[in-house]
Amino acid sequence: MEFEPKITIFYCINSFSESALSHVDEIDHVDIKYIKMPCSGMTKDVYLLRAFEAGADAVIVLVCPEGKCRFVEGNIRAKKRIKRTKSLLDEIELDGERLSMFNLNPKDKDAAAKIIKDTLLKLKDLGPNPAA
Amino acid sequence: MIVGEQKPIAEIKESIAPYSKILILGCGTCVKTCFAGGEDEVAVLASALRLAFKKDGRKIEIEEKTIERQCEDEFIQEAAVAISRNDAVLSLACGAGVQDIARCFVKTIVLPGVNTTFIGILEKQGTFTEECLGCGDCKLAIFGGICPVTRCSKKLLNGPCGGSRDGKCEVNPDIDCAWQQIIDRLKTLGQLDNLRKYIPPKNWRASHAGGPRKLVREDHVI
Repeated sequence: MEFEPKITIFYCINSFSESALSHVDEIDHVDIKYIKMPCSGMTKDVYLLRAFEAGADAVIVLVCPEGKCRFVEGNIRAKKRIKRTKSLLDEIELDGERLSMFNLNPKDKDAAAKIIKDTLLKLKDLGPNPAA
Repeated sequence: MIVGEQKPIAEIKESIAPYSKILILGCGTCVKTCFAGGEDEVAVLASALRLAFKKDGRKIEIEEKTIERQCEDEFIQEAAVAISRNDAVLSLACGAGVQDIARCFVKTIVLPGVNTTFIGILEKQGTFTEECLGCGDCKLAIFGGICPVTRCSKKLLNGPCGGSRDGKCEVNPDIDCAWQQIIDRLKTLGQLDNLRKYIPPKNWRASHAGGPRKLVREDHVI
């Protein structure tokens, strides 16, 4: 990769913990910023856009599996807001592919590392954030 | 409330392109409720526009402000200072708000960021439906509180047309037949006899067809 990718991860504290990525060597060179949320229902379009304004090349939102949200519908709300924000990113030609959401089972310790690796592969095609 | 929808970003971007300092002015009443022009929508639009212009290598200063109502001068004055330090105002109010800003600040460029759509209600969270055309001659008392002028696709005052199927309109099966609803409601109210009366053709002069309307309450004019 010709640039050092910056990724912002918004996560629900019930689905993921930052320590899950602390021993993954392949992502050592990646600048990751974490934003902790008590529930993914707090996901808001403006915060996602501001992450891109702050220079993120990709934004990832990690939420609980559907039906497992402690606050019942937080992850459903997050899914809908992310869908809308993705279309907004497409509209401004920043590419909605830069934003993605994953339902994460907290027991699956390797899932987050795989998501980051897949995102890095995707960023090889997408390139750096053109509005950074 | 007045229901509106934010214009596509591309259209907004094109309209503000000639200016380098823009005030995005939200309205905290109707358009806030329908998620078109309140504080949140101002913040999202500002962020999206900053990203869009930066991507194009263009620098633009965007200021954000929301006032309670853009259709009342008292509230509008709260935005006077912000308006004076920008090249143009992108108003996220309804058409009335945009015009009131333009009227109050005659030398300021005022651009609309919202398409004003209809007078309606919040039917359920996230769903707004048109309920009133503002025809100026309300006949809801006859029709059990359901307006055929607005909600019947054919605007029939002496309905039903006979074309509805399973309570749905034959013009658009996605909408409920207003006349089915009127009959059901009048039955519930025991007022079905209301429909025995012939309703004469509507006097559209009271509506917008008679030109822009004005309401003056002399008791409030000083």
